[in-house]
Amino acid sequence: MNIENYEVPVSIVEAVQSLQHGDATILAGGTDLTPQTTSGAKEFLRTLINIQHIEEMRGISVDDGRYRIGGLTTVTDILESALLAAEVPVLVDAADHFASSQIRNAASLAGNICNASPAGDMIIPLLLLDAEVELAGWIDGTLSMRSIALIDFFTGPGKTAMQGNELLTSIVFAAPVEGFRAEFLKSGPRPALEISMVSMGVAAVQKEGVLSNVRVAIGAVAPTPIRARATEAVLEGQLLDESLVDEAAAAAGREVSPIDDVRASAWYRSHLTGVYIRRLLNVVGN
Amino acid sequence: MSLEIEIKFSLNGRQTRLKVSPTMTTLAMLREKLDLTGGKLACGEGECGACTVLVDGHTINSCLMFAVDCDGRELQTIEGLATDAGLEIVQQAFVDHGAIQCGYCMPGMIMQARYLLDHNPDKGRKMTRDDIARGLEGNVCRCSGYTKVVDAVAAVVLEESPS
Amino acid sequence: MSAAMEKSLAKKTVIGTRVPKPDAPDKATGRTRYINDMVLPRMLVGKILHTDRVHAKIISIDTRAAKALPGVHAVLTGDDIPELRFGPTRDNFPLKSKKVRCIRDEVAAVAAESEEIADQAIALIKVEYKDLKPVFSASEALSKGAPVVHEDHPDNRSLYYEFSHGDIAAAEAASDIVVEHEFEVPYVTHCCMGPSCVLADFDTTGKLTIYSQTQYPYNYKMDLAPALGIHPGDIRVIQPPVGGAFGSKLDVYPFEPICALLAKATRRPVKLTFSREEEFINSPTRQPVEFRIRSGVNKDGSLTFRSVDALLNNGAYTSWGPTTPVIQMRTFTGHFRVPAVEYKGLAAYTNNVYAGSFRGYGNVQATFVTASVMDMLAEEVGMDPIAFRLKNAQKSGEVTPQGSILDDCRLGDCIEIAAGKTDFLSKHAANIKNRDVPGTRKYGIGIATSIHNAGGAKIHKSDGCGTILKLDDYARATLITGASEIGQGIDAVLSQIVMEELGIPFADITIVNNDSALGPWDVGVHASRTTFIAGNSALRAARAARKQVLDAAAKQSNVTAEQLDLREGHVVQADNGVAIIKLDRLLRQMHFGEDHELVMVTDYYEPNSEPEDRNHVGNLSASWAHGAYVAEVEVDTGTGEVKVLKITAVQDVGRVINRLGIEGQMEGGISVSLGYALSEQLQMEDGKVLNPSFRDYKVPTAPETPEIELHFVESDCKEGPMGAKGIAELPAIIPAPAIANAVYNAIGVRFFAPPLTPEKVARALHQASFQ
Repeated sequence: MNIENYEVPVSIVEAVQSLQHGDATILAGGTDLTPQTTSGAKEFLRTLINIQHIEEMRGISVDDGRYRIGGLTTVTDILESALLAAEVPVLVDAADHFASSQIRNAASLAGNICNASPAGDMIIPLLLLDAEVELAGWIDGTLSMRSIALIDFFTGPGKTAMQGNELLTSIVFAAPVEGFRAEFLKSGPRPALEISMVSMGVAAVQKEGVLSNVRVAIGAVAPTPIRARATEAVLEGQLLDESLVDEAAAAAGREVSPIDDVRASAWYRSHLTGVYIRRLLNVVGN
Repeated sequence: MSLEIEIKFSLNGRQTRLKVSPTMTTLAMLREKLDLTGGKLACGEGECGACTVLVDGHTINSCLMFAVDCDGRELQTIEGLATDAGLEIVQQAFVDHGAIQCGYCMPGMIMQARYLLDHNPDKGRKMTRDDIARGLEGNVCRCSGYTKVVDAVAAVVLEESPS
Repeated sequence: MSAAMEKSLAKKTVIGTRVPKPDAPDKATGRTRYINDMVLPRMLVGKILHTDRVHAKIISIDTRAAKALPGVHAVLTGDDIPELRFGPTRDNFPLKSKKVRCIRDEVAAVAAESEEIADQAIALIKVEYKDLKPVFSASEALSKGAPVVHEDHPDNRSLYYEFSHGDIAAAEAASDIVVEHEFEVPYVTHCCMGPSCVLADFDTTGKLTIYSQTQYPYNYKMDLAPALGIHPGDIRVIQPPVGGAFGSKLDVYPFEPICALLAKATRRPVKLTFSREEEFINSPTRQPVEFRIRSGVNKDGSLTFRSVDALLNNGAYTSWGPTTPVIQMRTFTGHFRVPAVEYKGLAAYTNNVYAGSFRGYGNVQATFVTASVMDMLAEEVGMDPIAFRLKNAQKSGEVTPQGSILDDCRLGDCIEIAAGKTDFLSKHAANIKNRDVPGTRKYGIGIATSIHNAGGAKIHKSDGCGTILKLDDYARATLITGASEIGQGIDAVLSQIVMEELGIPFADITIVNNDSALGPWDVGVHASRTTFIAGNSALRAARAARKQVLDAAAKQSNVTAEQLDLREGHVVQADNGVAIIKLDRLLRQMHFGEDHELVMVTDYYEPNSEPEDRNHVGNLSASWAHGAYVAEVEVDTGTGEVKVLKITAVQDVGRVINRLGIEGQMEGGISVSLGYALSEQLQMEDGKVLNPSFRDYKVPTAPETPEIELHFVESDCKEGPMGAKGIAELPAIIPAPAIANAVYNAIGVRFFAPPLTPEKVARALHQASFQ
């Protein structure tokens, strides 16, 4: 369809008002939108809304133990954040394995989330942090915000719980508890410019060999990024030893439902799942 | 009648104003409307870096950026790097170190190298060859095999911070 | 002549120095205009409708809506043009009118005022097909009752090559050990960074000027003409700088005549550019081959026989891919001393895409096989990979069964240097011990060697190159050569030769080689031939010019020409370097003096190589060269990821002319081979390409690039210019099997089909763990 309107809101309120007319495509960094529209995988709607000028959607802050990352914050901003490097290094690590320098400079965190790829690289560490996304809408002539757990945000490949007239404004999560260790792995062999065959994050607090607050998130092994709850349950409160690792690996193997595609077979994705959970537990548990 | 948007931005230090379709990419605008053909369309999906330009001091793939998004920004392309005095130091290093063969990827590669030199993420430490290679990950070159590209950038690292 | 000048100029050589390419500054600043950047007045945009079928009868093509679209100037189908056949075996057509045979096929084309309109017009063309039963594998294509790809080849047999030497059966019977292996090498593609692009423009009298990326401009005219139905003499080829070639531009492909036909139909310049997706699907690949190889060896480590069956998937049409056995068999029959050898290569038509030439021309495939088998045989007889190779390496003066004359054979030197520089044997032994140590990091070292033509290859009746060299009144030289510059750096090498002979600075030399109307004939940039052939022609021209200049100088002075030299823009006395006259002054005296002598020489160099006879025997190249490469790898036995840590390359290069250029060629070739070894494969399923993008077709990037150490063996080739040999294919040939051998050393698993992707390695380790 031909674009009939082009709008450049400078505030969330303006953007959400624009969205109420429906039929709008949101443009942030453009790194996913451009190839999707040129290849025909995605069609432009009647209105193109460029949200790049909404300054209140940028930046990384912490307030009263809650972190907030504006939706337009770029992956480079995350990579270069001293705050995150000190307090939530797993996010910085994932950002370091995200595409290329040029794409990191343009891609927004909200864009990576809204694209809802099962292999979205930034999603995995955010799932470890039990992150929520904040969605701005417009009800009865006024701005209305709602929060939704990131894990519930994804409903399928490329599909989210966000309504067509909503805007993902920020990502929030609580400061990790004392001793919380989170690690991320992504398939190679390239360090970053790869669409993950499998990506995985494991987080836990380890005290005298016993794990608590265990979280396992896996990408590219199901229609959406997943939290491996059964695997977490196997590990929670248990002494991490070789047999527990075996048990966790077996549980993770049961929780994933990978497919064959041009990048990898289901077999290899399952295999990598087993390799990664062992490696990550080895790091997190030490 | 298809929609055209007027945008204003700084291009290689000069104020520019023109109208673009909202679906036009920055690369298409530079090449087709502004005759700046240094940046190349080689993949169109951000996988090769041949179209790399600087926007507000950060490199981006201009094939992935909509031209309308240039409004109010500062762009620098490969054409804006050299001065009347001659080649910019990175360009000269690429020439001297034999990094350039067919040259098609080189405008993008050189812009990314310049960015990397200016934005060494670990500023206290001199970039290693591995750092340089990582920083150039988004730029594909099929001729050079990258060794001489990294040689060239490493030489500039020494030249710009000799201590 | 004036009295001797005060200056004394020492002899300085530029041979072996590091010379930046003359085209590099413009390329570094974005000034260089590739065809992809060019716009001519009134130029239209051409676009091709490629089929979405793999084998189908064309029932109808409805172009009415496309033709009616404002801004469309021409819509062509196969029915609009005579049935013109082209290609090395004349089995291809610019536009397909009766049936389509593969996903690459062109069924219609448009010329329009913009890219957008051209795209819209293409979308409006309706093609009705009746699908035909397809065949994709070469062996199925040869079986009885297989679908027929070309009706005039009912058995689907395309090209066949056979060579045999010695008594294979007797050699096999007498061998202590006989082994048989099967290998399969994949579809890979060139991935030139500049997508395919051509610009065609007819003048009023019907003569065509074509701006082409071709790397063989003179034969290109001969090959393009039949596809257009015009005389080759009516084609002028202009070659603007090209964004990579690597052999992909050694043939005419349908988009080129289609563009010209659109230009003819519209009487306007038409430019046609591929998208990256088209580049992956609709441009040539490297030839995929299935090999069965039987080899024999005696317990003392001497090779006894080698018998090879090669089955080539021809795809739907014949480009240079199915002709690569010509070079491929030379490696099987002539690399190492093997008393009895046999090669049979058969190409079968299928409904797959088709292969062209690609850096290494058949030898990439042969070397992957031979170098892997050499390691396996060494293990069979209990010898280390170095000793086994040295035992079977030929010595200078030997002639291979196909007649390649190894007058100065440095294979043994290359192996010994490679082993010595890498501490090969101790690492190799330690890595085997480390296989059983717990842990997921395993290390491997592997060697591979090969031979390649290094003095051209006489696959055409002539393998020559012409040169025109002139000196103007200011002592500026213009060298017009037939040899194309495709980024590889021949302009720098030829400039150095002129500098060396005429003593003039680099900046005073202009190389012209981009217009077929100006340049003297050359067979093309291929076969590692350009430095050797064009270099020799340039050298001979430069020496003739030198002689003319020195004769004139001698005539004016009391010395002979032999006592004079040219240095730094002066004629000097050779013994003490004392300058006699400035060169530009002498040239003006020659030109405007009584003799009215202009320095303007021509040369045509034809190497002393021989075309093969019908039994494939003959010294095909004026020189042969060997290389030995060592790869060191780290294998992650969990993920299956292979990281190449280091490549040590040792190669007989004859003589280094441009050290910067030769290093760049070696490093670039190694990178291409690294991709072949580990990551690159065009995934074909039912004739369709599953991964037509850089996202899923993985070429090496900077962080995957290993440390590279180069050692040049300078054998000073008698026939080569300044002693140089051709060098640029071996680096793209040898590393891949060295990597595979290193992986074997690390984990004890042998791979018979590159690329060694993480999944393939992980799967093999997984399977091995159950054995």
